[in-house]
Amino acid sequence: MADLVQLVIIGLLAGGIYAAVGVGFSLVWGVLNIVNLAHGALVIVGAYLTWQIFTASGLDPFLTLPIDAVALFAFGYVVQRGVINRIIRAPLLFTFLLTFGLNLIAVNVLLLIFKSDFRSVTTAYSGAGLDLGGIVVPYIRLAALGIALLVAAALALLLNRTRVGLAIQAVGSDRDAAQLVGIDLRHAYAVTYGLGAACAGVAGGLIAMIQAITPTAGEPYTLQAFVVVILGGLGRVSATVVGGLVFGLVEAFAQSIPGSGSVFANAIAFGVMVLVLVTRPQGLLGRLR
Amino acid sequence: MTPQLDLRNVTKRFGGVAAVDGVTFSIAKGEILGVIGPNGAGKTTLLNCISGVYRLDGGDIRWHGVSIAGLAPYRVARLGVGRTFQIVKPFGSMTVRENVAVGALFGSDSERPPLRAAFDRADSVLELVGLRMKADLPVSALTIPDRKRLEVARAVATRPKLLLLDEVMAGLNNVEIDDALEMVRAVHETGVTVVLIEHVMRVIVGVCERVIVLDLGRTLADGQPDVVLRDERVIQAYLGERYARRLRGG
Repeated sequence: MADLVQLVIIGLLAGGIYAAVGVGFSLVWGVLNIVNLAHGALVIVGAYLTWQIFTASGLDPFLTLPIDAVALFAFGYVVQRGVINRIIRAPLLFTFLLTFGLNLIAVNVLLLIFKSDFRSVTTAYSGAGLDLGGIVVPYIRLAALGIALLVAAALALLLNRTRVGLAIQAVGSDRDAAQLVGIDLRHAYAVTYGLGAACAGVAGGLIAMIQAITPTAGEPYTLQAFVVVILGGLGRVSATVVGGLVFGLVEAFAQSIPGSGSVFANAIAFGVMVLVLVTRPQGLLGRLR
Repeated sequence: MTPQLDLRNVTKRFGGVAAVDGVTFSIAKGEILGVIGPNGAGKTTLLNCISGVYRLDGGDIRWHGVSIAGLAPYRVARLGVGRTFQIVKPFGSMTVRENVAVGALFGSDSERPPLRAAFDRADSVLELVGLRMKADLPVSALTIPDRKRLEVARAVATRPKLLLLDEVMAGLNNVEIDDALEMVRAVHETGVTVVLIEHVMRVIVGVCERVIVLDLGRTLADGQPDVVLRDERVIQAYLGERYARRLRGG
């Protein structure tokens, strides 16, 4: 029983990170119709930013998260406005190529600056955890889950309760109609990508506190974001959060299977995704369009 | 007096075909103008030229004397040119009220209403078009006539000075057309200039003070409905003998 509870906790904690990585990816995909292959790279840029600030100034890594968000928002806005906007109406393959190229550039610039050494953020409280009668919950991971949920809630609020959020939703629903009621499409696209990048940056900051990072550590996160969004269903923040948590749980249980469970954890997690797609193509919480 | 909208030699080509070919006319403030013509005459293309969706291949479009040719669509919209689509384009992820509120939020350049005020305006526009009771429904729950009303409501919410309506009556039955006519009149009475693309002659005769007939991208006739609809060229190109006979007979 205790093992089961421990597994659920591990799964949810990991799922929180997946959700944080997924929400920005989902926003960009849903509104801009771009499967952003540079998303994992943005995550790692956020991770290095946290590491750099922490190493240079000793600022508490949690306090670097707002800086990650603002910096990545600005970066994302400029990239969309200056580069991606030029091919936004082109077929999917072009945006694939472009974001893949951006991914390569970002990873190689990081390699140039930081080399391929493993880096990690180690604070005084890094090893500490909450002991619940034999079950240990690391404080950092617990906080990371909380922050992931907070980021998702803030994004949902922004999309549904603010002027810019309604513009983003309108653009996501129908570009032509949106511009003919007076919405500046290029600005709305850039804000959307900026928000996606900001979420990625915060997720990266959290990841830097949890695992050792290298410039290439972002690639699995692109793939996982993809799975999480498909699992939950495109188009709603809450769906992505559920997708992230479910993916974390499935992975945790797969890893616990005696024998070769840990080897096949990824395969099992993807298998579950395929199963969901077969039975519920719109995802667990998605709406058919 | 400077006309509100002034088209001079407006031309738009697709490949070698001129969809709109040297169209010239102007609209005075407060007018209600019908645009008719056979399928492929260039009516919707003309609206797309005015609202900035297409770049002109020739000619000029002036808004209160200032050229708006080449402006991005959102800038034209913010100047006060509202627009509906022949095939309705609602924001599918939102409720009826939210759809209209987006129009109120972004339409006019002079006014940037706060969220609350935009939703209040949405409610009053929904009242005007007769959708007040359905404000909280998702768009998917609306019938076709109601979707057309929503299309008009969203455009009206942008506070247009000129409203371009692209076949808002197509596919409606007679009772629904009467309701829609009532709606267009109500909008017009708020001081909005209206341009109406329509195939339903009853609508043109019912509300328009002036009609322009397009054929093959050119202006075939321009004048009062009762004169234009008796024009021999218009009958040949568009209305057909049967309609003409009915008109003469009745």
